[in-house]
Amino acid sequence: MYIYLPIAEMPANVLLFLAMGSAVGFLSGLFGVGGGFLLTPLMIFWGIPPTVAVGTGSAQIVASSVSGAIAQYRRKNVDIKMGVVLLIGGIGGSVIGVQMVKILRQAGHFDLFIALAYVTFLGTIGTLMLIESLNTMQKARGGRYLSARRPGQHNWIHGLPLKMRFHRSKLYISAIPPIMIGSFVGFLAALMGAGGGFIMVPAMIYLLRVPTNVVVGTSLFQIVFVTAATTILHAVQNHSVDVVLALLLIVSGVISAQYGAAVGSKLKGEQLRFWLAALVLLVCMRIAWDLIATPPELYSISRIGGAF
Amino acid sequence: MRLRLAAVVVAALAGLALLVATGAVVSTLVVEHAEAQQSDAARKRELRKQKKAGPEIRPEFRDVAAQPAVPPAAAPGGPTQSQQDAGKPGREKVEADVSTRSIKVTSGFTGTEIIVFGSVDNSRQPSAEAGYYDVAVVIEGDALPLVARKKSNVAGLWVNTYAARFESVPSYYAIASTRPIEEIAEASILEQNAIGLDYVRLSPTAKSAIETPPPDLKAFKEAVVRIKQKEGLYIKEDYAVAFIGRSLFRSSIALPANVPVGPLSARVYLFREGELLSSFATRVRLEREGVELWLYQFAITQPALYGVFAVVVAVGAGLLASAGFRRGPA
Repeated sequence: MYIYLPIAEMPANVLLFLAMGSAVGFLSGLFGVGGGFLLTPLMIFWGIPPTVAVGTGSAQIVASSVSGAIAQYRRKNVDIKMGVVLLIGGIGGSVIGVQMVKILRQAGHFDLFIALAYVTFLGTIGTLMLIESLNTMQKARGGRYLSARRPGQHNWIHGLPLKMRFHRSKLYISAIPPIMIGSFVGFLAALMGAGGGFIMVPAMIYLLRVPTNVVVGTSLFQIVFVTAATTILHAVQNHSVDVVLALLLIVSGVISAQYGAAVGSKLKGEQLRFWLAALVLLVCMRIAWDLIATPPELYSISRIGGAF
Repeated sequence: MRLRLAAVVVAALAGLALLVATGAVVSTLVVEHAEAQQSDAARKRELRKQKKAGPEIRPEFRDVAAQPAVPPAAAPGGPTQSQQDAGKPGREKVEADVSTRSIKVTSGFTGTEIIVFGSVDNSRQPSAEAGYYDVAVVIEGDALPLVARKKSNVAGLWVNTYAARFESVPSYYAIASTRPIEEIAEASILEQNAIGLDYVRLSPTAKSAIETPPPDLKAFKEAVVRIKQKEGLYIKEDYAVAFIGRSLFRSSIALPANVPVGPLSARVYLFREGELLSSFATRVRLEREGVELWLYQFAITQPALYGVFAVVVAVGAGLLASAGFRRGPA
């Protein structure tokens, strides 16, 4: 069964994209990530023009995150105050990121930059998360209970001014680190065509020391708004949001995201982190391979006016 | 009586005229044939030379020789002459049309087929199988700007290092012919009329034309054609035009689903023994219709509102699914 996509200007296999949407949606609900870092490369792999993949992907992340965020909110896993602080930074970073995309695209190095950014961030975060989750699992097996959060520990973050109390996160820290993290993630998210959850989640866990259960919900809350802004920006700048394609991915994605969230709440934090790390590293290696391996076709063509 | 006489005179005059006309036709035919044989032999020699020269030399050879020298030299042999000839009585003229002048792209569009059919006026072909004429059908899409990039290995990474910008590259190009187009006519004629994948009009921007060395530019052009071919947007069908009668011919050309929406031009060329006798051009409209048209226009004319609409649709779908699960597993 095929349906013609009005913006991508090609017919899409309905079942294929429904399957793609539900697979990514499930993982998105499970790990509390937008899934953009999986969905965007998958869409491009199946022939969607990269610009359209990025623009449409952001719309899909809005939908999958909104249902995930609500599922988490019902479980009282969203720190609204923390989310808003992150969001303030996030929107600012996204605006700068979109400008950066323009500059890189004109120079013809956008695809290289996006690949390097993915490899660097996915590689670093995946490795760190893998080591940490393995350590935690080993210690847990050894009979010692160890929380990811060590409340007594102080670092330089606690010395900063503008302290705020985040009740749900059980934190009393300065607003500056969340704003900085938010803007950095927003900047990268706009550049990389993803929600940025894969950076946001570890940053909140390891830098802000937000409890793991609150991290997922809060990052989803923030992602909803940042990707909504990004979707509108893509529609205005590149005319690259395909509503028909987005709907295909959303319908399947939002439903399986619910199952993902339900499964995720039953799993242990360190197990979740281990599997997310494995997934992140897998995607990282796939992108790295394309950078290193001799491409079968050295040339590439792209329409002027479109991205990539 | 007088009437009958007049009739006889008229008939005689007509017969005489017919005789003169046939004589003229036959004589021109003989001359043409001799000329054609000459040019045919010359063409074959040329072909053999090219084959001997080998593929690795071909790009440079064409680039130096074909580009600056050929268009002025080939100018008198082009469509102007065929137009002049068309005016003479008895000369072949090609007329053609397409099966659908307007193709609608709806939500069920999965590509289509364009049937080009036409006939040769004053056909001297004894039968459909005679192979007396050669017909080439070209369907071309909108010319759009494009940038081609080339990767090189920089410190172990494959990086886009060179680029050539093109002002206009046909978004779609299909060539169908009665036999391989290289066998039908000389390169100069094909180049002049942009017939065949080797002669698709790819015009680089002034900047790229100056900055890129000719061999590199040639390589970029070849890459564009190669990639477009791989995408299924550039098509070459060697034996896809068939005569169904002495003068009637027909061809069907695939229009893949990923063809960029826009007007198409269809051109039909009639050859005999390497000479371009006549050509004909028509247009095919490729347009969105229904929901496709509405969404596309919405996205282009009111992008901000469309963006908001996309977000509302996304949020709505998200909330709906979430609400549906309130009594579900969550």
